[in-house]
Amino acid sequence: MFTNIFMFIIAAPYIARVTNQLGINMRALALVALLITNVVSAQQLDASVLIQSAMDHWRGTTSYSEMTMTIHRTGWERTMSMRAWTAGDKQSLVRVTAPKKDAGNATLLDNKSMWTFSPKVNRIIKIPSSMMAQSWMGSDFSNKDISRSTEIIDDYTHTLTETIEQDGHNVYVITSVPHEDAAVVWGKEIWTIRDDFVVLEEQFWDQDGVLVKVMKTTAIETMGGRTVAKTMRMGEVESPQEWTEMIVDTIEFNIDLPANIFTQSNLRNPRQ
Amino acid sequence: MQTPIKTITILAWRNLWRNYRRTFIMLAAITVGAWAMIFMTALMRGMVDEMIKDGIRSLPGHVQIHHPLYRDDPSITNSLSAPSKQLLTALKQDDVIAWSTRVRVPAVISSERDSRGIILVGIDPVAERSITNTADNISEGRFLTDKLDNGLVIGAALAKRLDTQPGKRVVVMSQDPDNEIADRGFRIVGLYQATIEAMEENTIYAARDTVQKLLKMGDQISEVVILGKDYRDVSTLTENIKSAAANDTEVLPWQELDTYLGTMLKVMDGFVFVWIVVIFLALSFGLANTLIMAVFERVREIGLMQALGMRPSGILYQFMLEAFFLLTIGLGIGNIAAVASIKPLESGIDLSVVAEGMAMMGAGSTLYPALYISDIILANIIVIILGLLTSLVPAWRASRYDPVEAITKT
Repeated sequence: MFTNIFMFIIAAPYIARVTNQLGINMRALALVALLITNVVSAQQLDASVLIQSAMDHWRGTTSYSEMTMTIHRTGWERTMSMRAWTAGDKQSLVRVTAPKKDAGNATLLDNKSMWTFSPKVNRIIKIPSSMMAQSWMGSDFSNKDISRSTEIIDDYTHTLTETIEQDGHNVYVITSVPHEDAAVVWGKEIWTIRDDFVVLEEQFWDQDGVLVKVMKTTAIETMGGRTVAKTMRMGEVESPQEWTEMIVDTIEFNIDLPANIFTQSNLRNPRQ
Repeated sequence: MQTPIKTITILAWRNLWRNYRRTFIMLAAITVGAWAMIFMTALMRGMVDEMIKDGIRSLPGHVQIHHPLYRDDPSITNSLSAPSKQLLTALKQDDVIAWSTRVRVPAVISSERDSRGIILVGIDPVAERSITNTADNISEGRFLTDKLDNGLVIGAALAKRLDTQPGKRVVVMSQDPDNEIADRGFRIVGLYQATIEAMEENTIYAARDTVQKLLKMGDQISEVVILGKDYRDVSTLTENIKSAAANDTEVLPWQELDTYLGTMLKVMDGFVFVWIVVIFLALSFGLANTLIMAVFERVREIGLMQALGMRPSGILYQFMLEAFFLLTIGLGIGNIAAVASIKPLESGIDLSVVAEGMAMMGAGSTLYPALYISDIILANIIVIILGLLTSLVPAWRASRYDPVEAITKT
């Protein structure tokens, strides 16, 4: 669900590859199909195609990015700079570059398994399931949020609920209800996706119909040849003073990555 | 000359009532002492019994079978295969009241608001009913119905912490045998209550087959729990099960599974003895004092008796008998008072005022005094033996008087 932020961490599902091979036509086709067959039976599929396309737009087959994460709390705030590599939908690597205190801390994600490396203790730790619900590097994201990938499509029933016009764009509102046995605590999630596949907002509602968390895109920019969300902010509705903001400084898509980048050895001894 | 037992007995009995005030005071002291010994012991016994029974219920069972490494590392990799034919035969014997298999692994439960580390227990709801009483302590919703149930039963206290309630979905996360994350959503179908809040907060129940599927463990299980007839004597049951279970398994009685509980029972036995002796020590000073006074009062009399031909041993016996009568009467009344005061309380003493403190000790908020015949006998024997030993000193002194000196003492 946090894929748009963690495009760097979570990589593209299979449709991403198809999309990238066929270029923009594929996406245009999907949209055309969506607009034409705007009937209830087709809505579900179309909504998931939309979300899928949004994910793919954010990821590409591979990517390299530099970003800044700001964790804000009442009384303090800290900012971390990091670099991230992604490939496929299962592999990603994030490495903190600043501040000095945190530099070198890294997270490797390979096929749903997660490892962290901290140079201070010089150890690789595999994140056990008991720690998946804990915060990722002290932010408002949990380890679980970070490690999710294709579940975003498979675990929910997606329904297109609204199409609105905004700044000359069509904006789609999609309600995603998790399946009964899906490992999702939310009652529903509401996505707001622009027709150029920029996710404007993702809302997390509890099972009583109360809005709990919101991730909002606050700046959109063209980077690496794509229109992407530059700044995103994640926070709980109940505590507006506490949030985590991600700013993408630079991003490149579909680049060549060395084969050894997503390995534990590279996690420990950076080679790039 | 034979010591005239009858005469001495009559003398001792009458002497007892010559100074009846002193005798009554001493009797009162012995009575209160005996009552305190028995009554307090019954309360302590009651408390410890509850703790042990509760402990066994949450273990649960009197004997358990595990993978040899399970108790050190209760992870999914240390699991057992389903009971073999040989074991099933042993489990059908008369000394097994009930048995069940469980999957028991650490997991994390999360709601929209919070997440907590817990123990996920996959049970066979039908078999489990005769072993634990969780099914009877459902405060809201329902208990699991069968092995394939998709619901989840959590403690009322945990539900409060997670800010969730029956009918809502939560996510349970654990690890499969390959160390991969295994997670799924569960709908909470019921809340249970336990006497101890900590238990409510750290144990959740799901159907066994559902958990096995979630954790990709086939029909492997974590433990077999067996309930025997009497929790105080489980050694034969343990032996029987041990001989039937596979070699690479660990069969242990509850005393070893929960050494805290096992030790507790032993400590309690020692404690009862120490408690009785301590009360007696306080009592013995009064007893010795009373008898010494009696001796002093009767110095001339003792001299006269000796002059008339009574042997020193006769005098010794006389004072010992006096002490014996005193002790017996006091104990008699004390025993009756103790039993009379415990019987009406056997339905339970409400301690909800200090429930939190009791919970810290692992006890519930209702105290059921437990009167053990063995404790009463122990108290009486200790008091009589030590009492007679105490009275030996003044009695010995009385018998050693020089008749001439004693008879002329003013």
